[in-house]
Amino acid sequence: MVAQLTSSERQYCAVILILMVIVGVAMAALGKSDPLGVHGVIVIVYSGVLLYLVLSAFYGPEPQEDRQASYYDDPIKVGIALSMAWAVFGMFMGVWVASQLAWPNLAFDAAWSTFGRLRPTHTTGVIFGFGGNALIATSFHVVQRTSRARLAGQISPWFVLFGFNLFCLLAVSGYLIGVTQSKEYAEAEWYADLWLVIVWVVYFILYIRTLARRKEPHIYVANWYYLAFILVVAILHIVNNLAIPVSWGHAKSYTIWAGVQDAMVQWWYGHNAVAFFLTSGFLGMLYYYLPVRAGRPIFSYRLSILSFWGITFFYIWVGSHHLHYTALPHWVQNLGMTFSVMLLVPSWASAGNALLTLNGAWHKVRDDATLRFMFVAAVFYGLATFEGSFLAIRPVNSLSHYTDWTIGHVHAGALGWVALITFGSLYTLVPALWKRPAMYSATLVEVHFWLALAGTLIYVFAMWNSGIIQGLMWRTYTEDGTLTYSFVDTLVAMYPYYIARAFGGLLFLLGAIVACYNIWMTARGAPAAAVVGDGPAQSGVAPAPAE
Amino acid sequence: MDVSHDTLVALAKSWGLFYLIAFAVAVVIYAYRPANRARFNAAKKDILEQDDRPWR
Amino acid sequence: MPELFHRKLERTAIGLVLAIIAAASVGGIVEIAPLFTIHQTVEDAPDMRVYTPLELAGRNIYEREGCYACHSQMIRTLRDDVERYGPYSLAVESKYDHPMLWGSKRTGPDLARVGGKYSDFWQVAHLTNPRSVVPESNMPAYAFLERTPLEMDDLGQHLAVLRELGVPYTDDMIANAARDAYGQATPDSDFATGVVKRYGEATDVSAFDGVTTEVTEMDALVAYLQVLGRLTDAASREQAAGAPQVGGNGG
Repeated sequence: MVAQLTSSERQYCAVILILMVIVGVAMAALGKSDPLGVHGVIVIVYSGVLLYLVLSAFYGPEPQEDRQASYYDDPIKVGIALSMAWAVFGMFMGVWVASQLAWPNLAFDAAWSTFGRLRPTHTTGVIFGFGGNALIATSFHVVQRTSRARLAGQISPWFVLFGFNLFCLLAVSGYLIGVTQSKEYAEAEWYADLWLVIVWVVYFILYIRTLARRKEPHIYVANWYYLAFILVVAILHIVNNLAIPVSWGHAKSYTIWAGVQDAMVQWWYGHNAVAFFLTSGFLGMLYYYLPVRAGRPIFSYRLSILSFWGITFFYIWVGSHHLHYTALPHWVQNLGMTFSVMLLVPSWASAGNALLTLNGAWHKVRDDATLRFMFVAAVFYGLATFEGSFLAIRPVNSLSHYTDWTIGHVHAGALGWVALITFGSLYTLVPALWKRPAMYSATLVEVHFWLALAGTLIYVFAMWNSGIIQGLMWRTYTEDGTLTYSFVDTLVAMYPYYIARAFGGLLFLLGAIVACYNIWMTARGAPAAAVVGDGPAQSGVAPAPAE
Repeated sequence: MDVSHDTLVALAKSWGLFYLIAFAVAVVIYAYRPANRARFNAAKKDILEQDDRPWR
Repeated sequence: MPELFHRKLERTAIGLVLAIIAAASVGGIVEIAPLFTIHQTVEDAPDMRVYTPLELAGRNIYEREGCYACHSQMIRTLRDDVERYGPYSLAVESKYDHPMLWGSKRTGPDLARVGGKYSDFWQVAHLTNPRSVVPESNMPAYAFLERTPLEMDDLGQHLAVLRELGVPYTDDMIANAARDAYGQATPDSDFATGVVKRYGEATDVSAFDGVTTEVTEMDALVAYLQVLGRLTDAASREQAAGAPQVGGNGG
């Protein structure tokens, strides 16, 4: 890592890290016994460990070769490792919270281990930890390869990567000690949010400067999707997280939004986190790694442009479908519903484009589990976007909302689409990055594929069943016109599905662990093929997220 | 400034739609402009060319 | 010349950035901006009171523990929602809620009008071990709330921040926040009268967890649960007058 930096760059790194330590000390001093103080200590330790890494290699030999003659791949390698570490953590938390719903005593009478505190560690762990790191790593790879230019910075890629992971760490550790804004998928408190803004601005500048260096006249469409992800997530994050802290010494803040405005802002954010974090960026992966793996150009480049603008334009309107039949004005609900239905067009255009790219290469899909990951991901993308538009229709939503159907829908997207396209991309990327002919074990990729697919199907079917059953039970009337079932009656009916769901999640987690092992073995195997300039970073495949 | 709720709602309902149409037309023109055809074809083929060095 | 060429390429990238912003911002602006004038159309509730410091502390505990992940506070305008949980929720009822806690999932029942539905005693027993009163429940046990003393010293700061955001707390309320929190959970103390004076006769002053020697987080959370749906009676008043049931309200 540090070996590729010149001595002045090492000095910059040290200065940045010392500043971060100082910020940590200030947080600890201001926060004292408040959770802010705990987070101050975490910032000190995190920056201190990185500072130690920089200083211990501070006087090492400087890079001799011309760095501009090669791509900057070290941050990508570390990003993949962090992504997989978060995947195992986040999915383990998911299995744990799912099990708590079936066996509530799995919280063991502690505060930190109750469902309410663990659930955001699962969502943040998988969305931001696993998904975010995978997006950052693959975006660094795609932008360099499609621009035929090296990343426009030596330190900034590391700053983005480690800065983002510090955010994730503050967020997840915060939930365990009771720090949360209680905004779904934006639970991290004000100081972590501010930090993420800084990280994100650096990310944006790095990305746009790398694009400006490109040797191709046209910007390949995958970059458009990554760019939309970076830009719109920034807008969403800033607006939704506007808040005033109780004091400089408090972790707690109050959002500036209230009541119905807050609801609209929250779901404008929440659904567009789905759109621009969990869709746009991953479509960027799809549009690069799928053609590359299949060895065929994308079916229609024009269609990819049309669907890009369709998705970017339509998605932003649909958040209000989370608020059907609530105190939100009727016309806003209808707008959300209308655009949700229209969104199906660009979504299916993307899914169709991906599948038609594979048309004529079905033998490859049959033989190559990596390509099959991406194929199934595109199918699930099509299914989940159809389901999403369907659930956004008001009368359908009246049944599905507040039930497990929503959870099933989210996981059809998150497991079937987001995670599978990520695994497919990583299995394409890892051998290329470490200069290996192929993954360590094709059999293990195959095993992972079937574990992931079985896990997803079990999960999704369990939640469809439980959601629809509960929704119907809530609205069942006796002949006398009274409600047939008490709430508890409907909960009792859920237990078998909660057990099935936890089992499906467990299979998916096992698959991710198999992937970690396979990636680790690929990275450390066949050293002869390694190239000059790969520092010790490549051996660090699975460090703890705290690194 | 005293903007009434009804004015804002009316604006939202009408101009949002016009904007959508204008935007869609612009995108379609961009995607189907003959001048862009060569560029798009090159872009979709170029990524399959895997070299491992930045171009100088 | 290569300089110029380079700049042109950069223009393409920046043009793309601007186009993305133009495409992605309109929807949000169109849907959110009118909500800031919504007070012109929605119900008014002049009788609505603010949360007492103890209830606010309880609300913060409700957020901290992630209760909103399983309990909604939003009764929809659907027949079965209304018959199960009470009059549908109005926008005005959460106008002081920073943030709103409407929720998105009902693993447990809606709590928008749970205030007063069960006794304090039941709430404490249920939170301590849900399965002692509802054997089929899958809710976590929150026995630790009873073991944790409530942090009250900084409640004045919390109220002051909320006032900056538009919640009508008075100087008197802010100055007496910690005393009021203590008094509301300690009915036989001198501080109890101040709570009623500042927040109204209807304020629930009670030894919520049955122990008056110490104010715990259990007191605060139960105080909050008991006030849910009772800050104003605008909903029951309006809906008794025959407002439409299905189809939303306002605008």
